[in-house]
Amino acid sequence: MKQHRKVALPRYGEYNCALKYVVEQGFEAQCILPPPLSRRTEDLGARNSPDLVCTPFKTTLGSMIEALESGADTILMVPGACRLNYFGELQEQILRDMGFTFEFINLSLYNTGNVKDILRALRVINPRRSMVKAARSLYDAARMVEHLDDLTSLYYQNCGFDPTGTYPKVYRRFIADMYAARNLTDIREGYRAACRALEEVPLCKPADPIRIGIIGDYYTVMDPFSNLELEQKLADMGVEVHRLMNITNDMLRGGGKNKQAKIRELCEYSMGASSVADLWQAQNFAERGFDGVVQVKSAGCMPETDIMPVLANLSRDRKMPVLYLTYDSQTSDVGLMTRLEAFYDMVEMRKKVNG
Amino acid sequence: MSENSIPAIGIPRAMLYYRYGTLWEHFLRALGVSYILSPPGTRGILEAGTKLAPDESCLSLKMFMGHVDMLIGKCGQILIPRYSNYGYTELFCPRYEGLYDQARNIFRSTGQRFITCNIDAQNGSPEPKAFEQFGVALGFSARQSRRAWLEASRALKQRQKADEHAQKELTAGPGMKVLIAGHSYILSDPYLGKPILDCLAAAGAVALRADALEPEAARKACAKFSPTCRWIVSEEILGGILQWKDKADGIILVSAFPCGPDSMTNELLIRRIKGMPILPLVMDTQSGMAGIETRIESFLDIIRFQKGERL
Repeated sequence: MKQHRKVALPRYGEYNCALKYVVEQGFEAQCILPPPLSRRTEDLGARNSPDLVCTPFKTTLGSMIEALESGADTILMVPGACRLNYFGELQEQILRDMGFTFEFINLSLYNTGNVKDILRALRVINPRRSMVKAARSLYDAARMVEHLDDLTSLYYQNCGFDPTGTYPKVYRRFIADMYAARNLTDIREGYRAACRALEEVPLCKPADPIRIGIIGDYYTVMDPFSNLELEQKLADMGVEVHRLMNITNDMLRGGGKNKQAKIRELCEYSMGASSVADLWQAQNFAERGFDGVVQVKSAGCMPETDIMPVLANLSRDRKMPVLYLTYDSQTSDVGLMTRLEAFYDMVEMRKKVNG
Repeated sequence: MSENSIPAIGIPRAMLYYRYGTLWEHFLRALGVSYILSPPGTRGILEAGTKLAPDESCLSLKMFMGHVDMLIGKCGQILIPRYSNYGYTELFCPRYEGLYDQARNIFRSTGQRFITCNIDAQNGSPEPKAFEQFGVALGFSARQSRRAWLEASRALKQRQKADEHAQKELTAGPGMKVLIAGHSYILSDPYLGKPILDCLAAAGAVALRADALEPEAARKACAKFSPTCRWIVSEEILGGILQWKDKADGIILVSAFPCGPDSMTNELLIRRIKGMPILPLVMDTQSGMAGIETRIESFLDIIRFQKGERL
């Protein structure tokens, strides 16, 4: 009898917990978690990637190498709306050239707009799976992602005002619970327990705190390692950090098909991938009177560079400062810290002057 | 409708103009709309564009914005077609998708009017319909526009066939042949690509162009080589390379800094095509040609060595 597959997906924030759930509960295969992203991951990836490709390609390639080193025999790669859709094919070629032996499930191949092809892809992971189980696990995993995003969002909004230091503890506990979850009850219980624990924390929040919105490309903005823990850094300065860009908002809850209509004055058509969502979010932050917006992107990200002139006009019209951050395979966060501090000082001063 | 009732339309001579320009020009001509082209690319245009475009965008976008800048105030409307996709798996680089809105935002303070032709089959606007709507926006009937589009697309097909035919004759001729692959807006640009072609000609090599091939044939060839590549223009280049490489002695991959699709397709190509000298050249805003010339000359030397010629 064939052994269970050992499936791995490169690290992507904490979303791997949902994949682990689907693979283990739905497809009855084993899920290998690559080690947390580190300097080594990035070096491995950058050394074996083309120079001019965007940073997420390098990071995910590094993570794939580490997954193979940890014993995975099957790598799963997701499709996407931008270059991401092509990541899989090139990464597979690079890994094979490096001499690894493995099976590669490139979901881009099945991303043809045809539902039959997607079902075919699911069959590849485990041909003997029960369809009902697989469907149920996908549903459960979607709930897990929702809870994860909701809690993460709550965490970064409040953790800067928590004098007791309970927030990080609860959050870490919650993440561990999600990785350990075996059914929907575990997921719900874990979430409820975390919410209850957070509610009890007395917050020292001013009536009108500084609020900063974060927007950016799918990978860099959602992965704390890739953005050098930008959100935590801002929160630690005493900022209420809001990020609407996550899987829940953009995919599970519809994402709002009418976003394009809402930003028509700024930009008539979509500029590809995350551009519409980003511009809508920036406009939404402006309408809610936020004190500033930070745009997070990896070097060479096409849609994110394209929206820069639009963001500049939005910032001018609404009198809302925007900080543009580009991430490459940096080795130190001192430069980032300096820029964030300067941005914070400016935002804080504006708030005092404007009341 | 008389010819002078619509103020002239400006067309920037950059980006997809080199790929679809024949289509646009014939379309406008068939409708009797006058148009002006921005002058051929120069160093000055690139410098103007570099100041206007976001720092991190690609060389071709900077060049494009320079061309738009040349047209500001000289025409009624500037035409920037938006090429998004021909269907779910036939996409264009996001750069072309955002060009229209990006230019509108960059040149907002000038009050210049822009017009687009939105080719986005996924959202119910395939090419024939897009041109129909474009014609209607210019004040013509849907019927007139459709006829103009048919005429224009025939002209484009003819040009592509002629290009392919001319190249076939070149391959039959004597001399060392180098396949030069890259976006047509780099290769055909007098400032960016022409020096490379001149350099090859001066060294006595015949330059074959990967983009001189009928698009359908090229895309079919590419589908087998790289199944998940979905950028139409990259597919055409890859397909062109596969089709012509047997006739060539070496390949030069010309790309612009930092071209998104090229950064990946070129890497794949280098990894998958074995036993053939390949030179990747990345064009930047550099001002001198000396570096490029040196690299091309030594590349040609390598080919000569391989063929067993003595230097």
